[in-house]
Amino acid sequence: MDYTFTFLGLDIPIIPVAWMLAKIVVVFAGVMGLSAVLTWAERKGAALIQDRIGPNRAKFIGNFRLFGIFHLAGDGLKLIFKEDLVPGHVSRWLFWIAPLLAFIPAMMGFAIVPFGQSFEWRDFTFHLSVIDPENGMGMLYPLAIAALAVYGIFTASWASNNKFSMLSGMRGAAHMVSYEIGLSLAVIAVFMQAGHYDPHRIIEAQTGLWNVFAQPVGFLVFLVCAFAETNRLPFDFAEGESEIVAGFLTEFSGMKLGFLWLSEYIHLVTISALMATLYFGGWKIPFMPDPVGLLSNWLGPWIGPWLGVLLSIAAFAAKLLAFCWFFIWVRWTLPRFRYDQLMFIGWKVMLPIGFANLLFYAWLIHRAAA
Amino acid sequence: MSVVVKKVDLTWLDRTYLWPIAKGLTITLKHFLKQVFKPTPKRLTVQYPEMKRPVLDGYRGLHELKRNEDNSIKCVACFMCAEACPARCITIEAEEIGDINTQQGLLEKRPASFQIDALRCIFCGMCQEACPKDAIWLRKNYELSCRSRFEMQLDKYDLMNTYAGDDGRERVEHIERAAPKPERQPLSNQLG
Ligand code: SF4
Ligand code: SF4
Repeated sequence: MDYTFTFLGLDIPIIPVAWMLAKIVVVFAGVMGLSAVLTWAERKGAALIQDRIGPNRAKFIGNFRLFGIFHLAGDGLKLIFKEDLVPGHVSRWLFWIAPLLAFIPAMMGFAIVPFGQSFEWRDFTFHLSVIDPENGMGMLYPLAIAALAVYGIFTASWASNNKFSMLSGMRGAAHMVSYEIGLSLAVIAVFMQAGHYDPHRIIEAQTGLWNVFAQPVGFLVFLVCAFAETNRLPFDFAEGESEIVAGFLTEFSGMKLGFLWLSEYIHLVTISALMATLYFGGWKIPFMPDPVGLLSNWLGPWIGPWLGVLLSIAAFAAKLLAFCWFFIWVRWTLPRFRYDQLMFIGWKVMLPIGFANLLFYAWLIHRAAA
Repeated sequence: MSVVVKKVDLTWLDRTYLWPIAKGLTITLKHFLKQVFKPTPKRLTVQYPEMKRPVLDGYRGLHELKRNEDNSIKCVACFMCAEACPARCITIEAEEIGDINTQQGLLEKRPASFQIDALRCIFCGMCQEACPKDAIWLRKNYELSCRSRFEMQLDKYDLMNTYAGDDGRERVEHIERAAPKPERQPLSNQLG
């Protein structure tokens, strides 16, 4: 069988290209779908935590309600068909671009994350991450992309030409930039221990012991900074609806608002995926270092590998969802910090702890090498 | 007198924030789990169209014009309610009853039309207070939504039927006009 076809004078290998396209579609659709479901999970979770009932009215086919999950469809339809209001005083160009600036980087971050074990079929190796390993970017890529999220928020607030939005943009930019440092410091310790910044290698390095147990302090720093990076309570200073209306969202309506909201939840999914990859062993299942190999031995070469791959994907999904739920859970538990407290925690607590953590592991590695 | 607010000394454990946050998280998780496993009827929220709270006594809902046992209207068109109504939403036209029947005794008047504009009504209950015949009651129906303004202009027969279903009585459909006129009898016979 010939695995290539020629298109515009290029020899294109069919299987890798088809696999890449399939991955892109599945991952992006999956992340979008998950973040949409998260908006529902947030409403329902908030309601249940506050002893309410939450959305449960939308019906689908007769009396089929399923805990109000069809409110999702209702919300989406509403946002799409709502009047797309552009206030007179906004900067039109930026007002149009801002939701995309928030949305696209949010979508891109997930591309590097391996969501299952790589497997071989015929003479190909299939990697379950949109960007194949050993690409030279590794985990630096999502961190760099996450840093772009600031632009989305800041552009939105600048374009709104509104004092509340401006305040929100300033606050958002300030706190996201300050917490990025803590985030990176925590991640560098992980890189050092794995000896590489490629996510596949980092996951391999966690075979015996998850990083959360190897570097608990680093994990805490990462967790706190992750909350700040995703703009979630207790650090939702950009939105801060009790202080500055809705911050950078104030002037937006319709699907633009939908994109800005969705990008918040996509950030949530991405940062949860990073957390699972960096600290909780990615797709690794506890006490089962190589599900594909193990199940191939057990069940033979036909079902074994597929089952193994599915199992590893399920393990990753479980970790991802657990973190998503954790974010929601924390949101409905904690109030917002004061702005000076935020800066205090960022610069005077998280930064020194991050440095100390980094130096400690540097010393450990140095001593082990000596 | 000023109140001295006692400052709480935080222990080092509280100063880490992490321990208090963990405590807070257990509280919210407890609420979450409790609420998840609670059956809907036991939850605090009343799921309105399916579940309803009992209406308290003395509630002033939609009006009913009371009837006699023979389903004729009890109202004697005295206009007291219309006078008492602060919203001026009762419009009555009186007519004379030529043939006096046993149920209504010596009544000579009844409303030819009795209209309440339920959109103007403030459900104050003054009409009920004012009525000398106890002919108009405000009862417990509070679900008064409808699709047009016109439907809220309640006429005499609407008002006589408002609670017919709840009370298990038959509806009065223009009965007085549709019923065959009784034989006219000499006045002296009826008075006995
Ligand atoms: S309840 Fe009050 S406002 Fe309504 S008809 Fe009676 S007197 Fe008028
Ligand atoms: S309802 Fe009562 S107060 Fe009103 S006109 Fe009839 S008898 Fe008089």
